Amino acid sequence: MDNLRKKCRFNRNNLRSGKLIGLFILAIILVLVPVVVHNPYYIHLLIMVSMNAVLAMTFILLLRTGLITMAIAGFWGIGAYASALLAVRLHLSFWLALPASTVITGIIALLLGYLLVRRGGIGFVIETLVFAFIIVLVFGTFDVFGGYVGIYNIPRPDPISLPFLAPIEFTSKTPYYYLMLFLVLIVVLVFSAFYTAWTGRAWRAIGLSPRLAESLGVNIFRYRLLAFIIAAAVAGLMGSFFAHYYGAIIPSTFGPYKTLYVQVYAILGGVNFAILGPIIGTLLMTIASEFLRISKEVEPIVTSLIVILLVMFLPDGIMGLIRRGQRPQSPAKNITRVAGWIRAFLSTTNSDSRDRK
Amino acid sequence: MSIILEVKKLSKHFGGLAAIGQLDLSVIETEILGLIGPNGAGKTTLFNLISGLFPPTSGKVIFDGRDITGLKAHEIAHLGISRTFQASLLFMGIPVLDNVFTGYHMSYKTSVWSRLLRMPSALKEEELLRQRAMEILEFTGLASLKYELAANLAHGHQRILGICMALATNPKLLLLDEPMTGMNIREAQTMIDIIRRIRDRGITIVVIEHNMKTVANLCDRIMVLNYGRKIAEGLFEEIKENKEVIEAYLGKEGT
Amino acid sequence: MASTLAQLVVDGLGMGLVYVLLASGINLIIAISGILFIAYGQFYMLGAYILWGLVVLLKVPFFISLCVATVVPAMLGGVIYRLIFQRIQSMQRQFLNGIVASIGLMVLIGQAALLAFGTSSRGVPPVFTGMLNVGVVSISFDKVVLIMLAIVVLLGLHFLLQKTNVGRAMRAVSFNPDVAALQGVNSSRIYLGAMVVGCALAGFAGGAMSPMFGVSPQMGMTTLLVLLVVVLGGIGSMTGAIIAGLILGLTLSFGQYFISGGLAQIFFFIVIGLIIFFRPGGLLGQPAEEMPL
Repeated sequence: MDNLRKKCRFNRNNLRSGKLIGLFILAIILVLVPVVVHNPYYIHLLIMVSMNAVLAMTFILLLRTGLITMAIAGFWGIGAYASALLAVRLHLSFWLALPASTVITGIIALLLGYLLVRRGGIGFVIETLVFAFIIVLVFGTFDVFGGYVGIYNIPRPDPISLPFLAPIEFTSKTPYYYLMLFLVLIVVLVFSAFYTAWTGRAWRAIGLSPRLAESLGVNIFRYRLLAFIIAAAVAGLMGSFFAHYYGAIIPSTFGPYKTLYVQVYAILGGVNFAILGPIIGTLLMTIASEFLRISKEVEPIVTSLIVILLVMFLPDGIMGLIRRGQRPQSPAKNITRVAGWIRAFLSTTNSDSRDRK
Repeated sequence: MSIILEVKKLSKHFGGLAAIGQLDLSVIETEILGLIGPNGAGKTTLFNLISGLFPPTSGKVIFDGRDITGLKAHEIAHLGISRTFQASLLFMGIPVLDNVFTGYHMSYKTSVWSRLLRMPSALKEEELLRQRAMEILEFTGLASLKYELAANLAHGHQRILGICMALATNPKLLLLDEPMTGMNIREAQTMIDIIRRIRDRGITIVVIEHNMKTVANLCDRIMVLNYGRKIAEGLFEEIKENKEVIEAYLGKEGT
Repeated sequence: MASTLAQLVVDGLGMGLVYVLLASGINLIIAISGILFIAYGQFYMLGAYILWGLVVLLKVPFFISLCVATVVPAMLGGVIYRLIFQRIQSMQRQFLNGIVASIGLMVLIGQAALLAFGTSSRGVPPVFTGMLNVGVVSISFDKVVLIMLAIVVLLGLHFLLQKTNVGRAMRAVSFNPDVAALQGVNSSRIYLGAMVVGCALAGFAGGAMSPMFGVSPQMGMTTLLVLLVVVLGGIGSMTGAIIAGLILGLTLSFGQYFISGGLAQIFFFIVIGLIIFFRPGGLLGQPAEEMPL
């Protein structure tokens, strides 16, 4: 993004207005979709794409700072369960439960992150994986969460009155769609704000070279913790929506495999594009699996084949195809760094276990 | 002349290995102190200890009258110590100007919120800091390369870029780890010139260096390390004749 | 009473050995080829199904079937490496892309197996009948034989790694691939070798242990758990994998008997989490690192 701005300094105004017009048109298209498309199934698809895209964005957020997280689905689940419990047991309105569960998820992330983010590297990945396992077990074991049957009869959002419009009731998929659009918009705005401000630069610095960033005065722990909390809170937000959209939730939805799928969407989209990448990746994968749906059983096979082919032939993801000209080399070294960590970590562990028979 | 950095009885053990043992050192304000010694003598480890990469096993580090022993690297950077690395450590994937700009991390005065909301005051400050980054690039002669990706720079320029980044943090003390490695004579001369001009701005410099001619040319005082201990300290002429120093470099057979 | 105890121990050893085999295999792949091969569990499943198919459906003798069940996944692993991972390894983002490819493979193989074999679990009849009587305890002979087999294979692996040129080359690559290359090691062949041996171990584990544990489509989902075992033991450490795997097996065996339910599992994971928290290098690795990030 910085490159874009600098190189086009003289054309900045032109580019800005070009981008704005594009966004404006996109916004109009998105808003008009339910008017044109009447099949609720497609509306449902768009809602799910949006949700998964946002989850993918949280993965990229942490990846920027050099952390690979397995906890995405876990926080998604915490948000869902928190919201469900607030609504079902405490009879809170959705409109209160939504922000409340986001905050709750954020607080849990603060506590958890405080411990886990210190580790960094492989330790972090494994610890978040352990967390992912534990949280599903917790949801399934304790009756307060409804056990393996889960929580059902989660109430729809109360009808909401917007100025100039009749009260909107959540009886069809369309209101949910607009709600999701709105939430996505907020998330994208918040992410953009962080990315373009100093915080985003610090994150990128940490991801590219933690040692260097630290020697320049960047408090790695604090920035990573911040990213962790934001990612978790956003996932929790999506979880809350999910709970009230589906009306029922079960523990197994929120297991570590969901996180793996989200990661696939993000990586296929292109890890260098924090917002567009996840959107494109999720969109493409969902469309592919939809329109190649020959039969229910064969579909995963086809989809996974596509995944494998894509990753083999598009190493920088789909967005990597769009080279903006100013990037003769893709700024890809951060991932090589992670591989370098693994190697370094392995060699250190190896040299300690000389007792290898 | 006041002492800006003092190291007292500093030791660092890695497992059973003593990388640094009972080291005492004083750095005078605005001097250029040369740190020499054979490979493995512990020079970079000393830098790591001072800059906070890891804590010492025992001993103290006092900077500007303040005990900084055991502080983390980013805290020490905030206090005014900056360093370069033996191997060029840069943000390879982003342009030169952005690299230096990152160094201004600590210089923001506007509040977090105004920065997040892209308030005019924050944007103005960003512009100002970007200008300052440009000034540093001009100071060291890299101005024409500002949009090049750091990874694409020639080795010599990369070393200079590392120094630019360290300068951006507005340090009082600059630790240069073998700044001239891999440079030819002309580049090295440029580097010496830059280092001198940095000192002229009032910044104290400690430089690890291997080339004796450079050391003689550049440094006010010299400290010699071997096996993690200080074996000599003083002016170049004194060091040159010091038997222990000669032994350290050439072995017991010696000249 | 003593018999039950012995039974639990034997079951625990059996389960533990499965985890040891799997952990060793994936250890090889991760430590040597640097691929986080999430699809690994599916090879375990394949081995079990192949054995079941041969023994139960085609009435092929057990030991021949076991050999097939070991070789076929190994070859499949090799093919997959050559076709897919060799290409990915030359990329900058090899680690992340490798994960994506692995996930894709996991789903692909899993779903294909589901289609081919159906969704129900199968049983494999024991190889030998009869009980072994040692003092007051009696254990089924069958299980003992299988455990012996597993131990033999592990010893073979040790021999391979320590005493053969190939094994030495593998260890060199796991320590430092660049230096190994300088010493004339053909790294892509070694990576292939690691993959083949790793998948062979998985297939063997699936086939050999199927009389004890049965065959089901969900078997492949253990990969993530195996990863935890590997980390507990320390990535790249064979001894660690053995210890961690055995501890896991015994804990599960005794745990399932004495305590049941989610609470035990939660506790179990918390313990794993704590161990990794305090010893990121695994049980045998370093304590809290001093590594610069």
